[in-house]
Amino acid sequence: MMEIQTMKELNEACQREEKSIGEIMLMMEAEKSGRDQQAIISMMEERLIKMKEAVDNGIKDATTAPSGISGGDAVKMNDYVQQGKSLSGSYISNAMSFSLATSESNARMGVIVATPTAGAAGILPGVLFSLHKNDGTPYKDLVMGLFTASMLGLVIANRSFISGAAGGCQAEVGSATAMAAGTIVELKGGTPLQAVNATAIAMKSLLGLVCDPVAGLVEVPCIKRNVIGTSIAFSAADMSLAGIESRIPCDEVIEAMYKVGNDMPRTLRETALGGLAMTETGKRVKERLFCRKS
Amino acid sequence: MEFQSCFDIIGPIMVGPSSSHTAGVVSIGKFIHELLGDYPKEVKIVFYDSFAETYQGHGTDKALLGGLLGMDTDDSRIKNSLEWAKENGMQYEIEFESCCEYFDHPNTTIVTAKRGDCVVKVGGASLGGGLSKIFMIDDDMVAIRLSAGDDFSALASSYHPRKKVMDKAI
Repeated sequence: MMEIQTMKELNEACQREEKSIGEIMLMMEAEKSGRDQQAIISMMEERLIKMKEAVDNGIKDATTAPSGISGGDAVKMNDYVQQGKSLSGSYISNAMSFSLATSESNARMGVIVATPTAGAAGILPGVLFSLHKNDGTPYKDLVMGLFTASMLGLVIANRSFISGAAGGCQAEVGSATAMAAGTIVELKGGTPLQAVNATAIAMKSLLGLVCDPVAGLVEVPCIKRNVIGTSIAFSAADMSLAGIESRIPCDEVIEAMYKVGNDMPRTLRETALGGLAMTETGKRVKERLFCRKS
Repeated sequence: MEFQSCFDIIGPIMVGPSSSHTAGVVSIGKFIHELLGDYPKEVKIVFYDSFAETYQGHGTDKALLGGLLGMDTDDSRIKNSLEWAKENGMQYEIEFESCCEYFDHPNTTIVTAKRGDCVVKVGGASLGGGLSKIFMIDDDMVAIRLSAGDDFSALASSYHPRKKVMDKAI
């Protein structure tokens, strides 16, 4: 049975089998689960459909989350983009809107798909549905993109972390952004090595980012960090597709993320005891929310 | 390697806002629902540590009650499960403790649930990314891994809730 523990092994497996990263994931999943590939693809399709529904619901919903500290920004962003005002170009602008829509839905207890967590659920759908909108990438390719993303995510999750509580936001939004960057590259015809390079470049850009949610909620600053994650994913993918390599190999970047996460104090790992959570405004929000109901 | 499947990374399909404080907790409730074979009529919930600190914002209480009522992680009724519980005549109380003496994890709960003559006391921890673990059933320490797609009724079928013994516990 094929076991892949590093990005180096992943790249070698792609070369040896003459398959994409997504195809390797699909093959491994079939081997491990005993399900046939078509059944696995159908399960992944179901997830893509749920992601699309979250985007579609979120993009027209201007209501606030129960906390009152998020909501309504996806509508604003979408209006702005549709007026042709955005500076970032349509790929990034659309991804920003879709990502906001998903993360705001998440805060309202709407249905989303954890990719890899709920806190980072906006990034992958943001970039995938932006690719679909801008260059017509078909849904069946987006489904394969989810296999690419999960393969990259599995290596990261097993060698480092994917949750803010464990390794800070670098582990959560960082991992999701890195997965998204590699996925864009593969969907745009880049080689597995280029996809892995984009993963490394994206992760390096978010290294050290702390997890400091106001009042412990997955809203401030999480939602906007998902949005920014999509633009980092596109920038990293563009660099890699241009032939630019990460000077530090991806496996070493992941190891660095792990070490940085371990060195991060507990106050900056989803305890709401540091960073933005402990600003004057952050503390006021916490007091207001915790006094209201209890 | 803790993460095995592509669906450990892409998934679960869930109601927000948190894979650890919401989705993982629905699974713990759903497992208890399967243990009893139906939803409990009376429930005592203890939330520990991080669950006790942040349950309101994450809807951890709604998630647990939703699971106890038989809902899955992606059931949009979870948002209104407090009302659903009332409608079904489910009585519940929630207590808060700083740390759990049975299991060392910040996201831990112990639930005592009663239906008719059956009472179960179950300890669960939500490990992250929607993955959970049942660590205690009645007085036995166990290790049952719960992932949102699993067949909880099969996982619960080897444990039989005790009858009438724990009336005082509730």
